[in-house]
Amino acid sequence: MTASGVSAATRRPATSLLRKAVHGTLLYQLLTFAVFATAWEVYGRYWGGILLPPFSDTAVATVELLGEAELWKALWLSNQALVLGFLASVVLGVPAGLLLGRFRTVERYTDIYLSILLVTPMAAVIPLLVMSVGFGLLSRVILVTLFSVVMVIVNARAGIRQIDASLIEMSRTYGASEAQIWRRILIPGALPAIMTGVRLALGRAVTGMVIVELLMVSVGFGGLILEYRALFEAPKLYATIVIILAEALALIAAARWVERKATPWAAPRNSSRSTRD
Amino acid sequence: MIEIRGVTKTFTGREGSEVHALKDVNLTVGDNEFLTVLGPSGCGKTTLLRAIAGLIDWDEGDIVVDGEPVRRPGPDRAMVFQNFALLPWATVLDNVAFGLELRGESRAARHAKARELIELIGLGGFESRLPGELSGGMQQRVGLARALAVEPNVLLMDEPFGALDEQTRRILQEELLSIWERRRLTVVFITHSMEEAVLLGDRVVLMSPRPGRIAEIVPIGIPRPRSADVGGLEQSPEFTAITSRLWQSLRTMHPDHRTAARAAAAQEVTG
Ligand SMILES: Nc1ncnc2c1ncn2[C@@H]1O[C@H](COP(=O)(O)OP(=O)(O)OP(=O)(O)O)[C@@H](O)[C@H]1O
Ligand SMILES: [Mg+2]
Repeated sequence: MTASGVSAATRRPATSLLRKAVHGTLLYQLLTFAVFATAWEVYGRYWGGILLPPFSDTAVATVELLGEAELWKALWLSNQALVLGFLASVVLGVPAGLLLGRFRTVERYTDIYLSILLVTPMAAVIPLLVMSVGFGLLSRVILVTLFSVVMVIVNARAGIRQIDASLIEMSRTYGASEAQIWRRILIPGALPAIMTGVRLALGRAVTGMVIVELLMVSVGFGGLILEYRALFEAPKLYATIVIILAEALALIAAARWVERKATPWAAPRNSSRSTRD
Repeated sequence: MIEIRGVTKTFTGREGSEVHALKDVNLTVGDNEFLTVLGPSGCGKTTLLRAIAGLIDWDEGDIVVDGEPVRRPGPDRAMVFQNFALLPWATVLDNVAFGLELRGESRAARHAKARELIELIGLGGFESRLPGELSGGMQQRVGLARALAVEPNVLLMDEPFGALDEQTRRILQEELLSIWERRRLTVVFITHSMEEAVLLGDRVVLMSPRPGRIAEIVPIGIPRPRSADVGGLEQSPEFTAITSRLWQSLRTMHPDHRTAARAAAAQEVTG
């Protein structure tokens, strides 16, 4: 067959195009960041007053803060709730989403709760949560889970839904049992969407972590932000936010990396998405 | 041998409307026969094939394959799909071995068998590629190899080349013929193309729609093997005689045909 030459030739330009696109985005991102930092610097210098320090002060404060034990203690404390809450939302959300996607009747009865979970302003739940569970780690974990689990469920459900029905039919012609259909078709088929949901949930979990600390249980990062605000230490306040952002971005980048490694066949979809968002 | 006796299947639509997909279908497919099924869209070809595969229940009648009544999918029948139905996350090798894997064959055994078939269908060297890296024609080769790997007695093909371009289709037709000429098996092959039906089949079954039933069975006398010169065959007078005969029958069934439309309208009034 001559097809091997053809397909090898079409593969190469595709990857080099991709590389070009990635480099293009990187340059673009650096440029926008430079513009953003300059604008911040100028605004902070001339009009910022006590509440908005210039970019350079914030950068210096960030480096200082990274040397302080207080920050690392806050990071450790906040991340306990983040990790536990995020894990809980994956462990609960993936099976829930898969079942909802596969069994329409289950979905008909639970759809309303999912909608509620989607639209409820979670901040409103915090007082309730604290009243019933207290100020401990548990209430922070639950809030992080509430924040992030919807993303996992909705994406896992969508992942099952978009599986080509002919794959299921095909496996049935070879005598597949329901268990085999799950293991060999549904779970791998939904995996790209599941991974996307996990990545989005990670972002929501970070939000949940900070919000609960800001609004109710002032420990960890949220506690730091409140403390620096009370002391009018604006550079450190912004430095804390920068560090939270950096952690969130690092986590999401890691999730994206895992996503790409775990679902290489979905690579074109992932890469087009990553240039978009 | 496939025996289909008085098979009737009615689907109930969402608003309770009834669709007579199959009405009293009688058909016998001989051992090692290559049967092609031709008919306008919606006449029940896929329904018939899925019934033989054991994927759906029907209302009346019997389907018996090699003496065994069909109840569910079985290892004696394998299907090839129009959209290939390959696992996008699995390599060519694992896709071809998929049917064997579901049957619980060991990794070594199923891979050995799969490699053999990959050679047979001319995809040697592509074992570790993913389907997304292959052309449509190559993907359908994988689909064909997967079906052949389980060594079925009956191969059920639902417009397998319908999604391919003209040249690729030609090549795969030749390839399918040459495989079938070497390892005889019973094939039921659905197509929209008259030329394809005549080129491949021992007999062509013409189906008519609403209700879906067999209108005519046309034997194709063109001698075999035909795989050597598919293009030349299509120029032969025998070939053109049969296709024009088929066309005469088909055109009256076509929904845009005037007399057919009038007949349908009359039926609506009386029935
Ligand atoms: N699951 C189903 N529910 C309801 N109606 C159905 C179902 N499957 C098929 N039908 C109807 O039965 C009729 C026959 O369908 P079938 O798919 O067998 O046609 P076909 O001959 O394969 O058509 P095509 O050439 O377009 O593939 C059509 O009118 C179709 O709408
Ligand atoms: Mg069909």
